[in-house]
Amino acid sequence: MIARRTAEIALGILPIALILALWQGVVLSGTAPAVLLPAPGAVFERLIQQFGNPQYWDAFATTLFRLFAGFAIAVVLGVPLGLAATGSRTVEALIKPVVRVLAPLPKVALYPAMILILGFDHASKITLVTADALFPILLATYQGTSAVEPKLVWSARAAGTSQRAALFKVVLMAAMPSVLTGCRIGLIISCIVVFLAEMITSSDGLGYWLVRAGRNFQTVDMYVPLISISILGLTLNAAFNMLRGYLLRGFPEER
Amino acid sequence: MRISSIPGLPPLLACAGLLAVWEIAARFFDISGLPPAHAALRELPGILTDKESLLNILDSIRRMLIGFTLALVVAVPVGLMMGRSRLVAAFFNPLLMIIYPVPKAALMPIIMLWLGVGDASKTLVIFLGVSLPVVYHAYQGARAVEEKMLWSAAAMGLGPAARLMRITLPAALPEIMVGIRTGLVIALITMVTSEMIARKQGVGDLLFNALAMAEYNTVYATIIIIGMLGFVIDALFEALRFRVVAWAEPTHEIAVGST
Repeated sequence: MIARRTAEIALGILPIALILALWQGVVLSGTAPAVLLPAPGAVFERLIQQFGNPQYWDAFATTLFRLFAGFAIAVVLGVPLGLAATGSRTVEALIKPVVRVLAPLPKVALYPAMILILGFDHASKITLVTADALFPILLATYQGTSAVEPKLVWSARAAGTSQRAALFKVVLMAAMPSVLTGCRIGLIISCIVVFLAEMITSSDGLGYWLVRAGRNFQTVDMYVPLISISILGLTLNAAFNMLRGYLLRGFPEER
Repeated sequence: MRISSIPGLPPLLACAGLLAVWEIAARFFDISGLPPAHAALRELPGILTDKESLLNILDSIRRMLIGFTLALVVAVPVGLMMGRSRLVAAFFNPLLMIIYPVPKAALMPIIMLWLGVGDASKTLVIFLGVSLPVVYHAYQGARAVEEKMLWSAAAMGLGPAARLMRITLPAALPEIMVGIRTGLVIALITMVTSEMIARKQGVGDLLFNALAMAEYNTVYATIIIIGMLGFVIDALFEALRFRVVAWAEPTHEIAVGST
């Protein structure tokens, strides 16, 4: 079993190694000028070098702040709204058509409007992240909570729990796997969107670093923010999975 | 008959409601960055009859469709094979995990260095963006196929390729459709974003040109057009999905539809 696991990990590293080898090969063969394609070694060296650069960490912190602020607002809005839509017919009738209209709208298109109203600084970017992360969280909460076994609620009600308490203590808890799935999608989307917002208009953050390097034709520096955002996404995903494992310890079927 | 049970009416009411909220907010705050809704709506016919903007919009849609179709052609088979073979899954999984959190439109500046600011780089970015969710959902769908059906098919003499096409694909179709729906939304997002970054033509360029020239009514009118585009694509796809995989509609969605 362990041998098989190692074999699979080795097999998984293979395409990544192949891409790196191909990359190195193209650089060595000289078909691509170094301005267009720097060697992988040079890129990773630059990345390590930037780890010692306080300005890099400043940019990183700015991006991270916007990401978490936007994501947190999306969770705080999305989960209660989804829950309320399950709990009340009126709220459901109000929210469902609005979501139906707004969910397929690419939120980046709203970004110019956000700039006009909120300015170029944090506020417009955080709003964009919230707008994009909100819908997966809201929809997952709504679908998860409306699929909860009604018997659970009936039992709680029969045992004397009030309607509202049953919504929070029974329905929300039973729908937790679905809610968390929505949150994870929202988190990855936040990660992507914050970067895009910083690329389109910004003066700081990782996205801006990419654009700035591109303008100055410093190709090596363009790869650094990209690798950073990939590492950030992987780390967030892993951290979220740990949190999920803790929160879902009462759901053996969800691992 | 309840009002909300008339098909198509609730979204229309929601649109009207959103426009009303916008109109009130614009009058209340009275800032130049937020023109009232009626001013933006008045711009709409002008944009939709202007030849150049129309060409830009069609251009964007064409790129999106090409990127999207290419993604389906590549991603669905890869996802299905990953779901049926542990080896293929082990081969692709780590790579996909690394690429997933990278914003595809962020690759634009690098791809632009290679392929220029034209169609090729934008289509490639859309292709990358759509592929990932489709691969993921096709993989999940293929993994959940009832083994007995595959055994029966094998016993009746179907080869591996035929099994993939005739058993795994239909069985995984509902799940694939979920991936395609996500992919459509992403295609639209990447389309707009790529045009915002490589400003040459397309809806995103239209939008930012209007912003740069401080034609705020046009900015908002373009946003409305993009929003309508998203809604129409989503509605068309839902209709298609309902026809194709109505047999597998999950129970809670039926419940949602009946309330």
